[in-house]
Amino acid sequence: MPILLEGELDIITHSAAQSARFGARLGKLLQPSDIICLSGDMGTGKTIFATGIGHGWGAKIALTSPTYNLVHPHKHDADKTILYHLDCYRLQNADDTDSIGLDDILDSDSIAIIEWAERIDEALPHDRLWVDMRVIEDMRRSFRFQAEGERYQQLIDDFRAAIFGIK
Amino acid sequence: MVTILGIESSCDETAAAVVIDGRIIGSNVVASQIDLHAEFGGVFPEVASRAHAEAISAVVEQAIEAAGVGFHQLDAIAVTRGPGLVGSLLVGINYAKGVAMMTDKPLLGINHLEGHVYSLWLTQPFREVDFPVLVLIVSGGHTELLLMRNHGEYERLGGTLDDAAGEAFDKVGRLLDLPFPGGPHIERAGRRGNVKSFDFPRAKRDSSYDFSFSGLKTAVMREVTVQPSAATRKGRKKGAEKHAQLRSDISINDVAASFQAAVTDILVEKAARAAQEYGATEIFIAGGVSANQMLRQKMRQETELPVRYPPLNLCTDNAAMIAAAAHYRWEMGLRTSLSFDVRPMWALNNETYHDD
Repeated sequence: MPILLEGELDIITHSAAQSARFGARLGKLLQPSDIICLSGDMGTGKTIFATGIGHGWGAKIALTSPTYNLVHPHKHDADKTILYHLDCYRLQNADDTDSIGLDDILDSDSIAIIEWAERIDEALPHDRLWVDMRVIEDMRRSFRFQAEGERYQQLIDDFRAAIFGIK
Repeated sequence: MVTILGIESSCDETAAAVVIDGRIIGSNVVASQIDLHAEFGGVFPEVASRAHAEAISAVVEQAIEAAGVGFHQLDAIAVTRGPGLVGSLLVGINYAKGVAMMTDKPLLGINHLEGHVYSLWLTQPFREVDFPVLVLIVSGGHTELLLMRNHGEYERLGGTLDDAAGEAFDKVGRLLDLPFPGGPHIERAGRRGNVKSFDFPRAKRDSSYDFSFSGLKTAVMREVTVQPSAATRKGRKKGAEKHAQLRSDISINDVAASFQAAVTDILVEKAARAAQEYGATEIFIAGGVSANQMLRQKMRQETELPVRYPPLNLCTDNAAMIAAAAHYRWEMGLRTSLSFDVRPMWALNNETYHDD
């Protein structure tokens, strides 16, 4: 039996700052068209993790909660690439995704980070990195990363190497 | 006399207004979707964007009629260019471009946050402003602390690192099973509660002028909800509604009061300190959360400087503030080309209009 499951990774963080640092490690590995889905209750730290990803990727303006405006298109600090930070908290279901232009975002070369992704699961492509987040207690959070598709298997392998030094 | 038609559709409201000389409101029409959203506990964007499109023409016509002016008497058309949701912004922008073309009047693309700033110029009776002033914009989507040195000159001192102040109100309102929008309902419940019942965290109590409200939201959640057991969690399907259950033995009024105290404490503390450090002559509060009485009262208590806030109908999104901001931009010579694009992430600072 392999010690590490292929296409899956579990981590536990002990503070919001640590969640953001893990996010930054992941953000450095992102490539055009990558889709990161964040799923979890209110207060699990989805926005904090996304902020870390944006930082690692190199966003010009720091990521903040997109709950109100639903979509925050972020420019890269050095090149012209875009990272879309979406929040489905105020969406009812997959039918709502037209109004936020989801198809155009997913068809582009841009990166997408999607908070409350479980609300629009049907509208999302099969290949993606899915992150289930959970409160353990107080400041401790568990993250379960699940890769769907080759690209995301690779991403999880690279992420594991970046944080643990092993593949 | 300069008469400007303003149009706003950046988020939940479809609005149009006519403002004369940047301070006299000729008309101010807002088609709110709050009733619609209340039904769903939040914005329902598919409906929202369609609703903007359906409402815009009637709203603009009503604003023109109520002001008793004709399109030909306008000097300019102003519209919110950003920040906001692209689909919603475009409804207003395209309509404004149409009006500008039809009437052959100049068009001005205005920053929504600057609109909130100029809601303070619409308070009656008008008092002259002696710069610099400290401006705190607090709404559902924004929390910004700015030093305004003159018309159109803004230094951004700080802002939220995660959730906006108004977003925290709405999310806590939802946790407490209060109707949408959370702000006024939390305020009402809080009036009957004890602000000292819960010692919620005041985050970012440091020397920066940044804010953080996500930890506060989480602290409230921890206090008021029963966490689902591991067994029920396992049985839950992906995509199933995850809603923590409200504890039955807590007082919603006490939670609301204590939460409100935590938010307003940190907003007031930082605004008052910034005003002192930068030698501001006054403190201006704008945006939906500036309607909050506890915030207004505390701000007046904590500083000897005069505190200004807009009348209640100008705290939330409206088009009069867009037309008022446009008046000063008009005087500074701004004319936006008819082919201008939408700016969903448009920060307010000294570079805001540099590309125009």
